[in-house]
Amino acid sequence: MFSPTPSPEARAAGIRKIVYYQEEVLLENGVLPPVPALRATAAAVLANPWAGTGPETDLGPATREIAPQIARALTDRLIAGLGGAEKIEAFGKAAIVGTAGEIEHAGALIHTPFFGNLVREFLEGSSIICFADERAEAGQPLVVPLWHKTEAATRSHYQTVTARVSDGPRPDEIVVIAAASTGPRPHARIGDRATDPAVTSRILEGASL
Amino acid sequence: MNIRKIVTLVEETLTEGGRPVEPNARVAVVAAVIENPWKGQGFVEDLSAGIDAAASRVGELLAPRVVKALGGTVEAYGKAAIVGLDGEIEHGSALIHTLKFGDHFRNAASATTLLPAVEKRGPAGVTFDIPLKHVTDATIRSHHQSIEVRLADAPHPGEIVIALAAAAQGRPQQRLAPLSTEQ
Repeated sequence: MFSPTPSPEARAAGIRKIVYYQEEVLLENGVLPPVPALRATAAAVLANPWAGTGPETDLGPATREIAPQIARALTDRLIAGLGGAEKIEAFGKAAIVGTAGEIEHAGALIHTPFFGNLVREFLEGSSIICFADERAEAGQPLVVPLWHKTEAATRSHYQTVTARVSDGPRPDEIVVIAAASTGPRPHARIGDRATDPAVTSRILEGASL
Repeated sequence: MNIRKIVTLVEETLTEGGRPVEPNARVAVVAAVIENPWKGQGFVEDLSAGIDAAASRVGELLAPRVVKALGGTVEAYGKAAIVGLDGEIEHGSALIHTLKFGDHFRNAASATTLLPAVEKRGPAGVTFDIPLKHVTDATIRSHHQSIEVRLADAPHPGEIVIALAAAAQGRPQQRLAPLSTEQ
């Protein structure tokens, strides 16, 4: 899947470990999905560069230095695992900050252009990237939301994949996650904006709301 | 054999104990979530029909995938069977403790030793640790290691998760004296 190359930049960014998870659904409710898809997450565990600092700390300098390296390391693995950026249809991102960190530290690494713009560029998308974040102990699973990389409102592509690193984040670490899917939900059949009827509470008057 | 899902997990360790690991230490797992071949049959005395129907096929499916996911020479390996809550642990053991299953991996990895294993029953989302040992000499202490796995929605009560694990090296920063020094 990947060539076992050295990763000096990733190591220099403080990354301890990278975990790639991929799932392929062959049967959903007993039936092969008409459009089979691969879903994947790549998660990097790295030292929290702001561990032990207060809320007055400027998060910019370390973000500019580290976030691009994480974006590259994670998207390289998604692209290699899923067969190319052109195969990827949906994406998402997430971060879990360890218990000694601030939730803003997680946000710094995923919500700025130094991560988000590069993930979007490398995965050849244009949408805003949906996300999840939290503060947790090592081994916490996090459900990462995905949506379409160029047409975010495409309902068939609203989906999730669960990421988890068994021994991260330590209290002074952060897990940063990029996620992608090559297709829609297994049996997407709940319409779309183009097919929805008009719905308001007035139109539904008479229904018990 | 009904396969619901195939999961691939690759862990790369870049640093351990604060020191670089070069090249990155790599461990891969590929798991298939399958319907328990004995689902709904009560206590089945002779498991051989289910073994014949599924063990070789799932071994053949997983072995090349885990070697490919690792992307390097397999130096250590292991296997797992995690049975959903309605099944017997014996069902999982039946599928992995047969040469019909393991020989696919042994041949793909040019291996000769027995595959270390974990067998366990649990709910969907249960965590399990797959033990790995060296592929040609199970006494090589540097290669004793394990990898933790969790599938968010498997196994369902009537399913079994069957997995293979492969490592391209021993433990990161392994530095224990070999077994021979204590003999």
